[in-house]
Order: sequence, then C-alpha cells, then structure tokens
Amino acid sequence: MEPDFVPTTSFVDFPEDVQLCILSFLTPPEIANFSCTSKRFVALCRSDAKLWHALCDRRWGSKTQIRKWGDGKICYRLLYKTLSEWESLIGFWRRSGQRSTSAAAAASAAPPPPPLVVFDWGPSFVAGSRVSPSQDGTYGVVKSPFLWMSLSPGGEPVNFVDPDGKGGEFGANYSVDSIGKTDLIPVDVNFMGCTHLVVEENMGLGGNSHRNGFRRSSSSANLCSDEEEASGGENGTFGSLPDRYMSEMYQHFANRTSPGGSSASRRQKKREKERQGKRRWEPEHFVKIVDCSPTPSRPLQGLWKGIGDCTKLEFYLVTYDEIGGIACRRVGEPADRFSGCAPVFWTSKATFIEPPFSQEEMIMYDSRMHLHPIDEENSMFGELPMENEPVTHILYINSSYDLLIPDLAGTTATDRHNEGRIWQYRDGTFGYGFLRDNFIIDLKHIAPNGCLLH
Amino acid sequence: MSSSPPPSSAAASPSCPKKMIALRSSDGETFEIEEAAALQSKTLENMIDEDCAGTPIPLPNVTGKILAKVVEFCSKHAEPGVDDESLRAWDAEFVNVEQATVFDYILAANFLEIPTLLNLTCNVVADMIRGKTPDEIRKFFNIKSIFSPEEEEEVRRENHWAFE
Repeated sequence: MEPDFVPTTSFVDFPEDVQLCILSFLTPPEIANFSCTSKRFVALCRSDAKLWHALCDRRWGSKTQIRKWGDGKICYRLLYKTLSEWESLIGFWRRSGQRSTSAAAAASAAPPPPPLVVFDWGPSFVAGSRVSPSQDGTYGVVKSPFLWMSLSPGGEPVNFVDPDGKGGEFGANYSVDSIGKTDLIPVDVNFMGCTHLVVEENMGLGGNSHRNGFRRSSSSANLCSDEEEASGGENGTFGSLPDRYMSEMYQHFANRTSPGGSSASRRQKKREKERQGKRRWEPEHFVKIVDCSPTPSRPLQGLWKGIGDCTKLEFYLVTYDEIGGIACRRVGEPADRFSGCAPVFWTSKATFIEPPFSQEEMIMYDSRMHLHPIDEENSMFGELPMENEPVTHILYINSSYDLLIPDLAGTTATDRHNEGRIWQYRDGTFGYGFLRDNFIIDLKHIAPNGCLLH
Repeated sequence: MSSSPPPSSAAASPSCPKKMIALRSSDGETFEIEEAAALQSKTLENMIDEDCAGTPIPLPNVTGKILAKVVEFCSKHAEPGVDDESLRAWDAEFVNVEQATVFDYILAANFLEIPTLLNLTCNVVADMIRGKTPDEIRKFFNIKSIFSPEEEEEVRRENHWAFE
C-alpha cells in the first residue's frame, strides 16, 4: 500500500531503540531483507548485543531469562537459532521404543522410568522432567527433573541427565562449571524431525568438564564475528544430526553385504562397541504428544488423569483420528491398533448425544458409583464433587477392538461386556464406564489452565 | 514509586472523585487524564510523584491531536473488566489510521514510555516491513541508500548465509 505522500517522520528518524523495537517483531529472513536497505541498517542488523538480544527478548523474554543463558556471555544470534529449535521441545512427550536389552540394563533392577515427560523453560536452560502419578490418593502428580539442556558461553549445547532424579529442581546452583563434579551424565539430544527425540549418553566427554569435544567445533564462532565466512559442510543447519550419526544410521540400515565403510569408520564402530559396556545411561527415545489439550471441536482430546485398574492414579491419552473416531490409551502403551494392547476405550464415531437423555440412560448413569481420587483443590474450595456435576453429553464407546457382527450388535454378552459410555460434564471433564460394571471413572485434565502441579 | 499512597486511590467507589492529572500539549491544549490511566506512562509516573501543585504537566514533544488519542488509549487500558479479545479488537481499530499518525503515536509512546502503546505501534510498522523486498522497503520508508550495486549484492549474499 503505497502512501501518496512521504511522511514527515520516517523510520530513519526514529531513535535507535525504537528502530530495534520495530525490528524485534520480525523474523530473521525479514531482518535480512531489511538490512539490505542501507549501510546504516546493515550495521544495526548485525549488532548482536542490540538487535539479536531484542529478537530473543521479544520471543522468549517472558519465558526465560535471556541474559542468563551461556553464563551471560553467549552470542545472541546463536542463542536465537538454538532457542528457535529448542522451543519445539516445550510440552509433553512420551517415551517410546523397547528398553535396551544390553547387559547394563538387564543387570539394573530399577523399574522403567515413567513414560510421560514434560519439557519446561528454566531461567537459563530447558528442563525435561518425568511426570508420574503421585501415590497419595489425590489427583496430584509428581514432576522429577532429569534432563538439563543449556548452552556454553561459546554456544555449544551442554546437556546432562540426572539419572537418579535426586537433583530436585535445577536451580541456579547448576552452572556449566560445576557439572563435572557431580553425578550428572553428559548426553546428546538429537532431533529426528520435530516430534522425535533421542537422548543418549555422550561417551566422548567421559564425564569430566572437557566440553570442547563436541562435533561442531569452530562453526558456531563464525556467526558472531564481523566477517561472515561461509562455513564448511559440518555446520549444516543447527539441530540436524552430526555427521557421525548420519553415517552410523546409514550403515545400520544399509545392505550388510555391500562394501563396508572405510577403515576409519570400522575402527570407530569397534571403539563404540567397547564403550557400550561402560555406558552409565541407556538411550531413550521420545515422541511428542502433539494434541495435549481439548479443543471446542475435540472436547475429549489430550492428556487426562484418573483412577486405573489398580485404584492408582494413571495417565490417559485420548486421540482423535482423521475419520471422526476417538481412542484412549494409557500413556506408555503402544498406540498401534494391532499391538495386542486393548484400548481403554474407543469409538469410531465421536458424535455426542445431546440432552434430554432417555430414561434408560439416566438410570444407567445415576446407578453408578464415581471413582476418583481425592480432589484436594476443589474440595478445599467447597466445589461440587463429580457426583453432583450435571452431565451435558453422552457418547457411546467400546473397550475392545474385537470385531462386532452388525446383526448381533447389542445382543451378545460380549458386546454388553465391552460397551460403555462417556459422560461429559459441564466443566469440560468427563467420566467413562462400561455396562459390565457399575462404576464411572472420572478424569481430569493433566494440566488444567496449563498448570501441571496445582 | 512514591512511598505514600495517593489521596484518593484509583479503586475508589464511584461516588468518590478520581484523581485527575492535567496535561498540556505542545500547542497549548490541556487534557485531563485519570491517575490510573496516567500511570501507564513511566514518564508521567515520575512526573506525578514530583508534582505537588497540580499544575498541568507540559509535554512539549506531543501535539494536542496526538495527546488526545494517547489519553484515550491509556484510559481504555486502565479500564477494569475488559476481556483480552475485545481489548485486542479495540487496539486494532486504534492503530487503523494513517501511517503518519502511527509514526506520531510511536514517538509519543517512546517519549512518554508507554510500553503497551509502543509495542502495539511498533508491531504495526513491522507489518509494513514484512513481505517487502529491500527495494520496496526503501521506497516505502524513503531510505536513502548509498550502496553500489556490487556492495548491495555482497550484503545480500552474506545475509543469505547468516539468516538461513
């Protein structure tokens, strides 16, 4: 939209901090465009302490303390690139894949870690925490930080795992220098696409503070210098797998009878095998849980918590498929329909029944007993327990994927065994139950209003 | 900022008169603004603390036309009980004005240190930059460039690597 006249004030007339405020709303490619407009703006757009700090602050200033990252000495352009990538970590993930069957894992008698994980912003790091149900009879959950991702002043990722989870909150006590003296295990965190994460021990560091042993050595420094040299192939885009992993993955999947790799890579593989035995921590894979919360069109979607089979609190994940169906599984159970693991409930058509409800449905609901942990938060404020919460919608569900014979639907004993209902309450939570018993399991969202711990 | 509370608080009941602050624009117009609204401006907040006599605060950098709108903005943002969505819609309407006026708002917001207004208006200017090529940006903002074509090409190349 071209103005008919040249305004009396123009961008160039603004004070510099106003110019920076304006530019802080743009993305790097847009900044690149802008910086081409004049020599003066080239210099402004290259200014790390001013522009790039403003960009970081605009995007993440409310979530983390920008000036604390990298001990306060980091190049902000580098920080911007890293945080743009790490931002996609924030949220819920679940552990995937089988536990490794290596000797170390078999020897340890520890139970597998909880499958649900949440990533949060810290003041100068991103923290991954395991989320497990508290066993105290309430809806409460326990959050145990175990993974700490930060940056060195030079911009290299500095990631550690606290295997026993005894570290408690990663507070200001943890600085980059103090790490070597504790039991923390250095790890690599690798993104494979946006929704798959691999966290594995970094055997190259050996547990002491020689942190310069990372694969990306000199390329990051270039970003901050005035001479913008083109970097070598090792840099690629930040967050892409280092070359070592790419060649390993390729060799793993390549035809075994094809000519092997160079002798250097064979030696490396041998060294890797030797190191395997000294691993202190088994690699873990995580898959992002993309739809964690209900939406108006998908009111049952997301992560929920409620009583499970053994009267203990459990976590459930309800997902919608592309053809209008819903499935609910316990978090950690395989999602695949043919895995042999029965769903908690499912339906192929998520159409709710609206009130007024039939007499039969009302009787079915009223005759049931609600099963739920003590809801401390609500009971403290004297709110109605679920028993008195009015039902706004009902949904027909099933608890087994076993084939239903259409003509006999609803008549056989098996069908009645598996058939059930979801009762959605006015406050957006819901309960489910099956015809085979007289209970209603009342679920609450795992993080109502975005708060995991309340 | 001040240690003693103001004589009548902003949360007073309707029957109690709210404290009004008088402002004078560069062209001599006087405006009244509620104290709660005035406190949105860090500059005014400082001046209110120092001012005892209640004379109008002179604002030599802001014309009457713009000051009237700034008072309107601050008053709206000090209103209790406005939900986020309607405030956002109101803000969008507020900046739906000529470019020159938006620029004037920016200068006033900068001088008066009103972060909400500054962010709102700067985002509007950022929108003007978004999606334009360097040439279009130059024309739009009347930026005089003294690049030679070779220099400009070099900058473009360097940036391409740095930002992508």
